[in-house]
Amino acid sequence: MKTPLSRPIALAVVALVLALASSSTPAQEKAPKTDAPDATPFAYAAPAFIKELDTRYPASPPVPPPPRYGGVLQFPATIRTFDPTAGYRPELALVWDTLTEWEATWYFPEVQRTPVIRKTLATSWEMVNPSTWIFKLRQGVRFHNRPPVNGREMTAEDVKYSYELLRDKVQYATRAALIKTIHVVDKYTVKFELAMPDPKFYLNVVDSLSPVIVPREAVEAPGGLAENPIGTGAFMLKEFAPGEGVLLVRNPDYYLKDKDGRALPYLDAVRIFFTKDRATDTALFRARQIDLMRVPTLDVLYALMKTVPDLQLYRVPSFGWGDYGVSLALDKPPFNDVRVRQALSMAINRDVVAEVINRGDATLYGPFPWGLAGYTKRADYSYANLGPNYQYNPKRAKELLAAAGYPSGFETELEWAEFEGWTYNEFVQLVARFWSDVGVRVKLKQLETSTWINKVGGAQPFTQAIAVASPIGAGPSFMDWAYLRFHSSYPRTVNRAGINDPKLDDLLSTWRQDSGDKRPALQRAVWDHLRANVYRITTIVPPHYRITQSYVYAAGNPYCWFPGYCSYEAKTAWMTDKAPTRKFDKFAQ
Amino acid sequence: MRTYIARRVVQGLLVLWLVSFAVFSLVRILPGDAVLMQLDAAAAPTPEQLARARQELGLDRPFLEQYRTWMSGVAHGDLGRSLITRRPVTQELAKRISLTSHLAVMSMIVALLIALPIGVLAAVRQDTPADYVGRLGAILGLSLPDFWLATVVITFLAIWFHWIPPIGFAPIWQDPARNLSQLLIPAVIIGARLAAVSMRMTRSSLLEVLRQDYVVTARAKGARERTVIVRHALKNAFIPVVTIIGQQFSVLLGGTVIVEFIFLQPGVGSLLLDAVLLRDYTIIQGAVLFFAVVIVAMNLLVDLSYSWLDPRIRYR
Repeated sequence: MKTPLSRPIALAVVALVLALASSSTPAQEKAPKTDAPDATPFAYAAPAFIKELDTRYPASPPVPPPPRYGGVLQFPATIRTFDPTAGYRPELALVWDTLTEWEATWYFPEVQRTPVIRKTLATSWEMVNPSTWIFKLRQGVRFHNRPPVNGREMTAEDVKYSYELLRDKVQYATRAALIKTIHVVDKYTVKFELAMPDPKFYLNVVDSLSPVIVPREAVEAPGGLAENPIGTGAFMLKEFAPGEGVLLVRNPDYYLKDKDGRALPYLDAVRIFFTKDRATDTALFRARQIDLMRVPTLDVLYALMKTVPDLQLYRVPSFGWGDYGVSLALDKPPFNDVRVRQALSMAINRDVVAEVINRGDATLYGPFPWGLAGYTKRADYSYANLGPNYQYNPKRAKELLAAAGYPSGFETELEWAEFEGWTYNEFVQLVARFWSDVGVRVKLKQLETSTWINKVGGAQPFTQAIAVASPIGAGPSFMDWAYLRFHSSYPRTVNRAGINDPKLDDLLSTWRQDSGDKRPALQRAVWDHLRANVYRITTIVPPHYRITQSYVYAAGNPYCWFPGYCSYEAKTAWMTDKAPTRKFDKFAQ
Repeated sequence: MRTYIARRVVQGLLVLWLVSFAVFSLVRILPGDAVLMQLDAAAAPTPEQLARARQELGLDRPFLEQYRTWMSGVAHGDLGRSLITRRPVTQELAKRISLTSHLAVMSMIVALLIALPIGVLAAVRQDTPADYVGRLGAILGLSLPDFWLATVVITFLAIWFHWIPPIGFAPIWQDPARNLSQLLIPAVIIGARLAAVSMRMTRSSLLEVLRQDYVVTARAKGARERTVIVRHALKNAFIPVVTIIGQQFSVLLGGTVIVEFIFLQPGVGSLLLDAVLLRDYTIIQGAVLFFAVVIVAMNLLVDLSYSWLDPRIRYR
């Protein structure tokens, strides 16, 4: 929910910054900030508020008290089914495990160069040759002790079965397609024969796009995994209330221990509410009905901090999810001309976009996540490292348009839709305004959200330009974020911008075949090539605001809190004795 | 009368068949399908992988074959399985129908408790302060959108009382206290809006009846004002009110989506909206068929009630 004042304030800020921006347009000049006293108190307060938040991050979070067993953690999420064969959500990682998973620390620019892999079901791996990999499995891991599986030990046969079962499921298809065959070497060893040599294959079985390990008996039982949700995870599904929520209880036989050798998880249960409205989420948080949530904007965070002053804030820099950009029809004029794309990118003042979208609390975003291009300090996230095509320069933009044969600009259509978590309505108005300054007349066309998803996902062509978030990866994987998304051999459902650039293909193919030594340099070369060609216009990415009640802590990385891709934090969460007492016999309690 | 009812039932079945065909066709015209809509944003399937997924769900089969299979199931009480959750549609609908029915009935009770006394009072005391206050209340009820009211109520309940209605539906016969604490506030919010319409209709209808000759005659015969209104005027004035209430009840079954979302009380309306967004065809078909059955039945009941309210009305 936006604060009641958010719309008038946003309009006031838009009017102010646009008026100021249009009056001074030298190259690389930053947009004026709303530091000056203003009639809108929050707009004036925002920089101070952001500064206050900055003092909390990256400072270390307060030292938590020792972990304590018990308690029921409650949080919101949108889950339609608890069946990984029907569709995947990160929350399913509480019930089902993959062979390995990412340490959440890769969220931080400072450590993105060396993301850490946590060994869950697999304990080691070995490359026999780039096309053959052997994975050793953890011994003694048991499926949940429920019929028809009854706590049977997980073995290599289960890994083979799961990969073969899930290889045709669209959610896992990208990963499973990398594998030609799987052999069971012995009870605790599997051998992967790859469809294509990959000297870094182990990085591709880590994340939530990798098949989870499921038991054959549960899949083949009546109702399948939807009615027999049995995995090896830290929690067992006790009740699924369609449309309302889910209750998970502690798996007493879970195999992971904390650093002191104590059994995980600490919590007795997890209750997830399937909320669909931000007002509901914030009301639930204020009423202490949920213990953690992701806050969509600085406005909402500000309002929540006023009414729940003891909340704990984790302000997580976004790796790349949730950016604001525009995809262009690259196969049609005028967008097939690189000068036009460069001009359109230069016409946008990204500081103003950040100001309007999230009160200035956002970082610049380039062709793909900064960390994957080797920019591993937050200070690196700069116009200098993005190059001239990303800097506000309407004068140069007009020159480029004239050179491309459009001295009077042209007309274009920009499609967009309302989408939960983004404020595209404000974004597209800004883009239209900036482009009109250089002569490009934009007709905004709002789509029904499902149609927009189709177009963004490459299942249906868009007309000329469409407001989008960049296609994302499930972890810090260059394969997801760049290779698949920019290589011309992939269809529009994967390479969504429809990029067909032989030089880029060469770079990506060389990267794919490299054993690792040259990969950082190649990734930077891909970055440089993409930022020069501006195949997709990217602008900014706001941080993630995650808040918890004061009585909730997590081991692992406290900054990477649920809901999101950091399932380990829920597995290692605990609650102090200040937490409300909650029952967990059934969901509705 | 029996002939009339039989004829209406046959007509109703025809309407249901037409609705089933229309909804089955229309949902397939919409862009996208369940395979695309449930993809995680990070997934990157190829067209071949998408085609396999569609084949698994039977979406690649010819239109008429899909329709025949579905209708054959409907005739046997099987509405199929959800394309998203893979659970039986009847199972998905059953709990939502229970919640929606609770919410609709409670909202209607709230609406009638507000609308009828105020509507009658406003008509009887026309152009007095009581009438003005009643009309002002009605205009307020019509003007305040229920999603806004629901958002404000839930926000202020959380801020001031650190309380919101509990989540997790319990039918009234299982846990009356929990049920009331869950549904009373949403029912009042929805009921307030309905009351505004019913109150205005009650007032205008009663005003019209009070000017009829038979009411003047009753008064001339020396009947007490209370008797004139309750026994002679009110019953006849109720015909348009009952029509409105019948329509409102049908709309309530699917029209409380926003309030359901905000209070996390998922009824059939939110199930249907979710299904439309996710292109869960089988759920859409099942839910629309349910609405059609309710609306056909409700219209029949309303029509039959006319003859009870006004004995001059006869059905043949």
